[in-house]
Amino acid sequence: MTFQGCPGSKTFDFRGEATAEESPGEKIKSQLKQWPVQLHLVSPTAPYYQGADVLLAADCVAYALGDFHQQYLKGKAVAIACPKLDEGQEVYLEKIKAMCEEAKINTLTVLIMQVPCCMGLLKLAQEAVRQSSRKVPLKYAVVSLQGEILEEEWA
Amino acid sequence: MQSFLNQSIKAVIRDYPEVGQILDEFEIGCAPCSVGDCLLKDIVEIHNLSPEDERLLMARIAGVISPGEKIELPAVERKKPAGPKELKYSPPVKKLVEEHKLIKRCLALIPRLLEYLDLQSEADRELVLGAVDFIRNYADRFHHAKEEDILFKYFDENLDILKVMHQEHETGRAHVRAVLAGVEERDSGVVREHLDAYRELLKEHIKKEDEILYPWMDRSFSTSQVGELYSRFGEVDRQFGEAPQKYGAFIQGLEERFCGGRIAG
Ligand SMILES: [Fe+2]
Ligand SMILES: [Fe+2]
Repeated sequence: MTFQGCPGSKTFDFRGEATAEESPGEKIKSQLKQWPVQLHLVSPTAPYYQGADVLLAADCVAYALGDFHQQYLKGKAVAIACPKLDEGQEVYLEKIKAMCEEAKINTLTVLIMQVPCCMGLLKLAQEAVRQSSRKVPLKYAVVSLQGEILEEEWA
Repeated sequence: MQSFLNQSIKAVIRDYPEVGQILDEFEIGCAPCSVGDCLLKDIVEIHNLSPEDERLLMARIAGVISPGEKIELPAVERKKPAGPKELKYSPPVKKLVEEHKLIKRCLALIPRLLEYLDLQSEADRELVLGAVDFIRNYADRFHHAKEEDILFKYFDENLDILKVMHQEHETGRAHVRAVLAGVEERDSGVVREHLDAYRELLKEHIKKEDEILYPWMDRSFSTSQVGELYSRFGEVDRQFGEAPQKYGAFIQGLEERFCGGRIAG
């Protein structure tokens, strides 16, 4: 029988395939350099966004991507959001626009999951940059449910 | 129909339960979904169906919502389907590639321009001087300056490939000086020789940059460097103001005059 629901909430079980190599014993340092991180909570003009390379990550990404801190968060200011469940996404659009125009961010990297509804976050970011009077290079990467990078491109 | 595209899928399915079944058939399982509230148009866009499937889906939904009405199917923006991959440049490098396109359009005009060249005619001399002005100000001061003063500086200047690129820019400048001298002397042989040599040189030079140098540079840039390059190029664009558009119009004017329209780029 084929699955009839939203692909974003379809159930998978990877337990048999979990491959995680053991970490090298040392405690892994967090690369988070700010608080808060949720897009509704942050101010787009907070000092950590000024001129920064900003990472806009879908909520689920940090759980799926094993090397999230080193590979993507390091050196960046972050904001997280869920394009499927969050309310008031017009506020998100305005905040991303303000990051481009007022905080004069250097780049925007959007990290999304491979489920189709997550594409909404990239669309939102693209629309915000399109509407912004100051253009910013926008990159995106798509993360698989098992933490592989499926695609990474400048948008 | 158009207004339904902007409605929440939940409302559409509530009013037209058949739409839920149609979506299921296209493996877009919105009907049983209990969270989120996507718009119909976003669902169509996000699911990135093949154009055929999308047309079929929209036609079937339209048949349910507004039977008999002639509908305009929405053009939905989509990611490119997998296929032979064209080169993907970072945004600042893409700007340079776009500038190459205008330069190549100028190069493509040179043979036409030389065909009937008569340096005794003032109009023809002005034409050559116009092309030289484009080459000096757009191709060289605007574009090559971005390369030499900004882009190439991110790399070791002793790299052979960069030495070659610099040398080719210099050779191009020498050809342009010779063209100007030729106009001065009314020596059409000299003008022909150097304008044609410039065309040949730049054509190959641009091909090397587009296909080899730029992709290689792009691979080595960090995200942060791409942002920095983008804003530095933006700074140069601001300094030149309306000039790039003016040169675009100049080339277009020549194309219309010589070829009845665009011939390259
Ligand atoms: Fe060059
Ligand atoms: Fe070039």
